[in-house]
Amino acid sequence: MDFFDALNISSSGLSAQRLRMNLISANLANINTTRTKAGGPYRRKDPVFAAQAPAAPFHDMLRDRQKEFLKEVSVVGIVEDGRQPIKKYDPTHPDADDNGYVAMPNINLMEEMVNMISATRSYEAGVTAIQSAKDMALKALEIGQ
Amino acid sequence: MPTQSLFEGAISTLQKTLNRGSLRHRVLTSNIANIDTPNYKAFEVVMEDVRQKKDGFSGTLELVRTGPRHLDGRRRASSDVKIKASDPPPFNLRADGNTVDLDRTMGKLAENTILYRTAAQLIRKKFQGLKNVIQGGGK
Repeated sequence: MDFFDALNISSSGLSAQRLRMNLISANLANINTTRTKAGGPYRRKDPVFAAQAPAAPFHDMLRDRQKEFLKEVSVVGIVEDGRQPIKKYDPTHPDADDNGYVAMPNINLMEEMVNMISATRSYEAGVTAIQSAKDMALKALEIGQ
Repeated sequence: MPTQSLFEGAISTLQKTLNRGSLRHRVLTSNIANIDTPNYKAFEVVMEDVRQKKDGFSGTLELVRTGPRHLDGRRRASSDVKIKASDPPPFNLRADGNTVDLDRTMGKLAENTILYRTAAQLIRKKFQGLKNVIQGGGK
């Protein structure tokens, strides 16, 4: 049913934005991290979103051609930013190289804050969409009363 | 007319819908309650296709099976509601092994509430109709 498609699609958006928010938090928290399991400084992480048809039984797919256009958002991967680490001169740092330079994560605080606002707004939009879909369905119920 | 048949059909079907709705609600709320429980695995209610072919009434053509390994081409006649562990979110960043996806769960909760209210309203209408008949219409 259409109302529930709207709910499910919006929920997938909320879930994706929450994951994005988590990654932004991780980036902000690790803005000074110089040690990682893989070696070297922490690298900025970004989610990759893709539009995907919601899981539905095959016969539904055949019946509703419109479902072709209804896509959920799904996270298909998390990529690391390829930007080079920032070299900071700090000879007293335990991770400094022979020349006294430390490789720091190349994370731009402003960029992360802007991403965070964008994630928050997208999340809010998703919540509003869910609220509207719910209101519509409940209004439709009032027809029979 | 036997009294039992009064409540067969729509009312008993709607009753099952309500039962399933309350079960689903319980499962969803248990998932939400355990949002911070380490290693908690989220559950979901899976409804199998309950539309079954009744004897003497067939709206579809049946496939002829000439071998024992052929599929019967019919919907499975099962009214089972199963509770199974739901698939974990694809990129779970949580380190505590919890697989509850809060946003999707809340979406499902909203969906379930609307379905439940719809079924409840339909059943109310059915009863109103019966009552109307018993009282001899709007006098």
